[in-house]
Amino acid sequence: MSRILIVDDSRTSRKILRSILENAGHDIVGEAMDGQDGVNKYKELRPDIVTLDITMPVLDGLGALKLIKEIDTESKVIMVTAAGQQNKMIDAIKLGAAEFVTKPFEPDEITKMVSKLSE
Amino acid sequence: MINQLFGNYLVKAGLLSKDQLEQAFDTQKKVRVKLGLIAVTEKLMTLEQSEEVNRLQAQMDKRFGDIAVEKGYLTDDQVSRLLGLQGNQYLTFAQAVTDNGFMTLRQFEAAFLDYQKSLEFTSTDMEDLKSGDSDRIVPLFLPSDCDEMQKEHIMVAVRTIIRLVDSDAYIGRASWVSSVETKGVAFQCMSGAVDMALGIAGEEAGFLSMGEAFAHEEFEKVNLDLLDAVAEFINCVNGMFATGISNKMFVDMVPPTFKDETVTVSGGRLLQLPVYISGNRINLLSAYDGKMSI
Repeated sequence: MSRILIVDDSRTSRKILRSILENAGHDIVGEAMDGQDGVNKYKELRPDIVTLDITMPVLDGLGALKLIKEIDTESKVIMVTAAGQQNKMIDAIKLGAAEFVTKPFEPDEITKMVSKLSE
Repeated sequence: MINQLFGNYLVKAGLLSKDQLEQAFDTQKKVRVKLGLIAVTEKLMTLEQSEEVNRLQAQMDKRFGDIAVEKGYLTDDQVSRLLGLQGNQYLTFAQAVTDNGFMTLRQFEAAFLDYQKSLEFTSTDMEDLKSGDSDRIVPLFLPSDCDEMQKEHIMVAVRTIIRLVDSDAYIGRASWVSSVETKGVAFQCMSGAVDMALGIAGEEAGFLSMGEAFAHEEFEKVNLDLLDAVAEFINCVNGMFATGISNKMFVDMVPPTFKDETVTVSGGRLLQLPVYISGNRINLLSAYDGKMSI
């Protein structure tokens, strides 16, 4: 079981992700609605894994990833994207993202990914 | 989609009652289309030839196709092609309506010709409609001067509605509009070589049908939570569209916008396509060569 922080501006996405991850036995320690809120919650909660949407207001996922990596180089971050954002995925790899998940969510894909990162 | 489109036409034309239509849809889920019906609707055999083969089939331990080939009505290749059409939505609907005794096959085909006239569609258009393939059906309902990129965007949206929201969704005829006044809207702009946007506006029942089916959650009314779900759906569509065109151009997506109050939506060449989800209307808005705004 991992302690997970979900960062996504969409309430629907947060709710679906929470449901998938809780059903797989993980503990959702917090939710954030934009990148800056995500960075603040990361500092406060120190989760095992962060899911980070790329397209968000205030501070986007790439900006938040950079700041989280500055706080903790060992942080495990799963980037959440709508398809069609390949260039941003490349940038995220360079910044140290561990994995990617594409919307609409496939529960099996997400649970396998989180299990792998939890090992 | 064709069963919904033509079925609703039959009700409006007074040829089926609403109850009969619902019964036909229920039957349609279980029917296996007879080869004879397909051969007649595909104009490869006459109704009389089909009935003759049916009579012979009752007397022999042979399949319809084998007898039709023996009689010289069909070739082996035609039988193979017809067998491949057995799951076709138009044909299963025809089978369901005639099996229930609501119409004869001749009446059904005559009504389909009247439907063609009412739409002012060509025979080729009608073949596209009968195919059941949304990628062939959607362009029939778009204006002829619609840009190919905008057409593709709308096709991805309709395909995704059918896949993720309602497999029985169907569409109406699209029209160019300068602006749309709506109580509630969700949209997302994409910037690139051409600015584009996709939005969803419409009536409360349509929003509820869409949001609930996509988010698997019940909503009492159109509020920001429901529109967040609709916006997330749009985000998924735009992502898939951006992937599809990535070899032609790059587009960047901004966070979606949604409002639960009365607003006027405008932007670019704005196209409005009615989409019916669980029978309730929403309006798909597509802006091309301009940003959508409220």
